[in-house]
Amino acid sequence: MGSNVRKLTEMASADNRFAVPFADLRATQIEAMNERFQGRKNAIKLLGHRAKEAGVAEVRTAEDIVPLLFPHTTYKSYPENWLREEKWERLGKWLATVSSHPIANIPLFGIRDIDDWIERLQGVGHFISCSSGTTGKSAMLIASQKDMEWSKVDTVNAFAWGSGVKPAQDRRIMGLAPVAYVPKNVIIAEAQEKAFGDPARSRFNYPVPPLTVGALTKMVVLRKAIADGTAKPEDIADFERTSKERQVAMDNAIGIAADALIAVRHEKLHIAGLWNNLYHVAKLVREKGYGAADFHPDNSIYVGGGLKRAQLPADYQEFVHETFNIPKDRHFQNYSMQELNSAMPKCREGGRYHVPPWIVPLILNKDGDALVSHAGVGEVEGRAAFFDLSLDGRWGGVITGDKISLDYGPCACGNAGPSVRDNIVRFADLEGDDKIGCAGTVDAYVRGVA
Amino acid sequence: MSTAANHTGTLTAVPPVVSAPFFIRGELLEGQDVAHRSRDLGVTFSTPRIPLDRAVPPRTEVPPLLNVPLAEIIDFLVETGRRIRDPNNPFMQECIDRMCSTHILPREVVRNQAMYAAAYLDKRKLMAEVEQNFPDPKALDGWVPKQDFTGRKSYVRAFAPRLIHVLPGNSPGVAVKSIAQGAMVKAINLFKMSSSDPFTTVAILRIMADIDPNHAIVKSMSAVYWRGGDDAVERVLYRPQYFDKIVAWGGGDAINNVIKYLGPGFQLVSFDPKTSISMVGKQAFSSDATLDQVADLASMDVMTLNQEACVASRFIYVEAEQEDTDRFCAKLHKCIAARAAASGDFRPLDMELREQVEALMMMDDEYGVWGKPDGRGLVIRSEEPVDFHPINKTANVVRVDSLDDAVKYVNVATQTIGFFPFDRMAHYRDRLASGGAQRVVHLGEAGPSTIGNPHDAMYPLHRFVHWMAHEDGCAPSPG
Repeated sequence: MGSNVRKLTEMASADNRFAVPFADLRATQIEAMNERFQGRKNAIKLLGHRAKEAGVAEVRTAEDIVPLLFPHTTYKSYPENWLREEKWERLGKWLATVSSHPIANIPLFGIRDIDDWIERLQGVGHFISCSSGTTGKSAMLIASQKDMEWSKVDTVNAFAWGSGVKPAQDRRIMGLAPVAYVPKNVIIAEAQEKAFGDPARSRFNYPVPPLTVGALTKMVVLRKAIADGTAKPEDIADFERTSKERQVAMDNAIGIAADALIAVRHEKLHIAGLWNNLYHVAKLVREKGYGAADFHPDNSIYVGGGLKRAQLPADYQEFVHETFNIPKDRHFQNYSMQELNSAMPKCREGGRYHVPPWIVPLILNKDGDALVSHAGVGEVEGRAAFFDLSLDGRWGGVITGDKISLDYGPCACGNAGPSVRDNIVRFADLEGDDKIGCAGTVDAYVRGVA
Repeated sequence: MSTAANHTGTLTAVPPVVSAPFFIRGELLEGQDVAHRSRDLGVTFSTPRIPLDRAVPPRTEVPPLLNVPLAEIIDFLVETGRRIRDPNNPFMQECIDRMCSTHILPREVVRNQAMYAAAYLDKRKLMAEVEQNFPDPKALDGWVPKQDFTGRKSYVRAFAPRLIHVLPGNSPGVAVKSIAQGAMVKAINLFKMSSSDPFTTVAILRIMADIDPNHAIVKSMSAVYWRGGDDAVERVLYRPQYFDKIVAWGGGDAINNVIKYLGPGFQLVSFDPKTSISMVGKQAFSSDATLDQVADLASMDVMTLNQEACVASRFIYVEAEQEDTDRFCAKLHKCIAARAAASGDFRPLDMELREQVEALMMMDDEYGVWGKPDGRGLVIRSEEPVDFHPINKTANVVRVDSLDDAVKYVNVATQTIGFFPFDRMAHYRDRLASGGAQRVVHLGEAGPSTIGNPHDAMYPLHRFVHWMAHEDGCAPSPG
C-alpha cells in the first residue's frame, strides 16, 4: 500500500472524514489511484490488459483512470455454463483474472456444490460474495481478509455517522430479513451485532433458512437449462415445489417475527432488515394491537438494499419507523454496492449521501467511456464510477449502472466533502421496454423463473 | 496516454428534437404534443397526440378495401414500390434524413435497406405470396362456393380483418411488408411504429396518398406511435371490439405487454425474436480454396444487415479439430472485417458485451479471439456457445467433433441455419425442425428465401384474415 493510499484510508474512523473539501483531496486521490495501479497492473490480468489496450502506464489525471475502470458487469463475465457443469477449476481461473492475489491451488476433490467450493476458497483467504441478481447471472466478487476487516469497521462507522446511534453494546439485535449467506453480509451482521448488540441478550434471527450462494445460483442454473431445452418437466416441478415451501416459510416468518418483537417491545432494540419484510412485520404488529407507544423510544433501525420490486404503499418507510418508535432523526440510509467495499451514508441534515476521502467519485457519460466535463461548481450528473482505494482483494475502480448527481461543494449539513443527491436511478430502468427487433435470444421463451 | 479525449458525449447536452408525424386514414397529422426518446441514440422526437376515435373505425363500417379487387391492390402496391425506389421521391428523402437521427445503422445502410425493402413490391412476388398463403386466393375477392360430400353447400370468404401491427424498429423492410400484407388481406390496419423508426411507415403511406388520396388502400391505413407498454393507449385500443388480431414482433417486455390484453376475439399473431446459426461440416477443409470460400459464405450470413436482423448468423458450429477450427476462424475474421469496413459501420460493442469478450480473452487457453471488441469484426472460438448474444459483427465459432453434436444447440429461438456442405442438409433437416428451427439454407444464403414461403413456421396471411362461412343449406339429393 502506497503512502497516499495509506493517508486516505487512515481516515476511516476520523470524525472529520466527510468534511475535507474535494480540492484538498483530489491530488492525493490521483496519486493514490496511481499507487494502486502500479501495485496491481501485473497482479490483475484484466487490468494489465486494459492498461495495454489504452496505453496507460501511469495515472496522472482523472482522465487516465477512465479506461482502467471495470464495469460492474465484469464480475458477471464468467461463462455461466461452468456453474451448471461445476467446472470449479475453470471458474477458479476466471476468478484469478480479476483477483489481486494469486489463487492458491485448492483441493478440488470431492467438492459437492458451489457452497463447498466457496468454503474451500475461504480456507485459503479468498472471500467470494455473490449478488442476488433478480434475473440472469449473479456477480461473483472476490475479496481478501483485509477487505473483510475493513468492512467490519466501515459498516459500524457509516451507521453511527448516518444515524447518530453510538455503538454502546446496549441493544437487542432483531434480524428481520432473510440473509443471503455470503461472507460480506455475514461479516457486516457480526460487526453490527458486536458494536450495537448487548452481549447478554441473544439476537433474534429471522426464521427462514439462510440463502447460500448455491441456493441463489440454483435458480440461475435452472433458467439456463430451461432456455437450452435440457430442463425436464420434473426439474421444473421440483423447483416450483421448493419455491413454494420457501414462500410458506417466508409467510410464517412474518408472524413469528411480529410475536418476537412484541415480546421484547420494552427493551432497547436494533432492528435490521429489508423494507419489504420490515413493512409486513410492522403491519402485523399493528394488526395485533401494538404500535409506537409500546416500543422503546431509543430504538434504532438498519435497512439494507432497495425495494427489489416489492410493491408497498407510498408511506412504507414512515409506517415502519412509526410502528417501532424510531426517533425522527434516525433515518439511516446508505449508498453503496456489492462492487465497492465502503459505504456512503446519508446525512440527516442535508439528505445527501457523503463520499468518504478514500472513495474517488468519477462522473462519466452514459456510455461510461469519458468523464463529463464540469466546471467544478454545482452538481454534475452522469454515470457513477468510483475508485474505492480501500479495496485490496480486487481492483477498486468500478463503473456502476447508476445515474447520479454529484456535488463537489459543501452540503447543507456543513460537511465540505463531495456528496450525492438522493435521486439515484439505474440507467437500465430509464431505458424502458420499447425495444423491439426481430432478432432476439431464447431468453424471451423462458417463463416463470425470474 | 488517455483514450477518453476522443469522446465528447455528455448527458447534459440538449439533443435535437425530430418531428414524427402520424398518418390517419389518408390524412397527415403533424403535432408536437408529446416528446419521446429513441432507444438507441437518446434522440428526442415529438409526435401529435393520438386521435383515438379516428384510429379505430367502427365495426358498422365495412372495411373499405373489401370489394377492391386484389389485382388492383397489387398494382397500387407496385406503383408505391416504384416511387419508393425513385431517388428523387421527396417523402423517402425526408424519411431517410429523419431516420438517420434516430437509427443506429449508417445512412447508406438505411437507404439500401429501404431500396431493398421496396423490391418486395413486385407483382409476381406479391401474387406468389398470396398464392402460397391461400389454397384459393379467390376467397379474398369474393365468397367462394363450396360443397361437401354430403351435399351441404356454403360460401367461404377470407374476410378483411382488423389488424394492429406492432412493428419492430430494426428493419424498414418490415414496414413495407406489413403494409403490403395488410393491403392484400384488405384489412383495416393500425401500425404502431417503433421508437427507433417512427418515420418509414408514415413515409410509405404518404407516397400512397400521393398516388391517390382517396383510394381505399389509403383509407385503410393509419400509423401512429406510442411508447410500447403505455397503458393509457394500450388498455383503450387492445380490445376485440376494435381489432381482431394483433400482429407483433419481438419478445420479452414487448410481447408481455401485449399478452395481458389477449382474450376471446383478440388474438396474437407473433413474429418471435430469433437467433440464426450456421453449421459447417468437415468438407469445408477439403482444400484451402474451399475453406476460403466457406469462410466468405459464413461471413455473408453473419453480416446480413450488419447482424441487426434475425436471419443474421451468430453461432457457427464447425466440425473440425481445434487447429483447423482456428484456421477457419482467422479466415472468417478477415472476411467479416472486410465487410465491416465496406459498410462504414464502426459502432463499438456496448460496455457489457465488451466486458464479456475481454473476460474470454483473459482465458486464452479455453477461448480463441480474433479481432477486438471495437465493432470492426470479431470472432470467438469456444467449445460451447458463449452465453451472451453475439451482436454488432461478432461471430462465435463453436468447435464440435461432429455436426450431430451441434444439433442439441438448436432451440425454440433458432430461425435460420446456414449449412455447408449442401448435400448433408437433408440428413439433418428433421432433427433441426424437431429442435425448433424454421429454415435450413445453403451457407451464405440466409437472406433470400423462396417467394411465399412460410415465415416463423406459419403462413401469416392465412392467419390474418377473418374466415367467414355462409352456410347455404343442402343441395337437393340426386334422383
